[in-house]
Amino acid sequence: MDFSDPPRPARSENLLPMINVVFLLLIFFLIAARLAGPEPFPVTVPEAESDMLAEDGFTLWLGPGGEAGFADALGDEAVEALAAARAAHCATADCVAEPPVLLLRADADAPAAALAALMPALGAMGFARMDMVTLPR
Amino acid sequence: MFNFGEPRPRRRPNLTPMIDVVFLLLIFFMLVSRFGADRVVPLMAAGEGDGWSGPPRLVSIAPGGLALNGVPVAPEGLAAALAPLVADPSDPVILRPQEGVSVQETVLVMDLLGAAGFSRLVLVE
Repeated sequence: MDFSDPPRPARSENLLPMINVVFLLLIFFLIAARLAGPEPFPVTVPEAESDMLAEDGFTLWLGPGGEAGFADALGDEAVEALAAARAAHCATADCVAEPPVLLLRADADAPAAALAALMPALGAMGFARMDMVTLPR
Repeated sequence: MFNFGEPRPRRRPNLTPMIDVVFLLLIFFMLVSRFGADRVVPLMAAGEGDGWSGPPRLVSIAPGGLALNGVPVAPEGLAAALAPLVADPSDPVILRPQEGVSVQETVLVMDLLGAAGFSRLVLVE
């Protein structure tokens, strides 16, 4: 004979603490994250000892074969697209007081001559300073 | 006037769809975000600043080694060899990588000069 109470329906767990934690995580990622644009192609940036931090700016990519990439444009089109993007940015912002920064994400194995060949075009666009992105060792 | 029904317990809204959406957002932001600032090595565009002053400072980077103004120099002696050629560490130094030199080797030289205090490095073809 079974005189115990009839089985009670299982109570659903209280989900509120989990929701609180998940919301906190969500807000953390929203605030802490810098959204990274898509890469036109994967690159392995070179290593260096420099401890200078990158600022936000335009990013030009240089693939292992020496081809340039900007957003989804490749080769010479990338340089043109970068010039157009800079011109569009400077139409609304004061590029004289705050010149935009150019970040160069060049592959470590890319020929340096290809990088040097880009320099006159980049300088002509008005980028006075270019920052080569590196990995800390 | 009469209410013979039992008082019904207040129903809580179903939270599961909201949790699903919040989890999806969380996973999206976790995947798409990039943490930590990148490190950079600065490089100047040619033709900036107020002209050239002093003796030529051309560092050729060849697959076999470095040369300062055509004279071979060891990487560890480069900064010392450049020191008498500049009036100020902010004077430009020109780097010229030759065929077959990778970006990594060039960045190592830039790093070397940057550590020695040369802040205006110009890359030419």
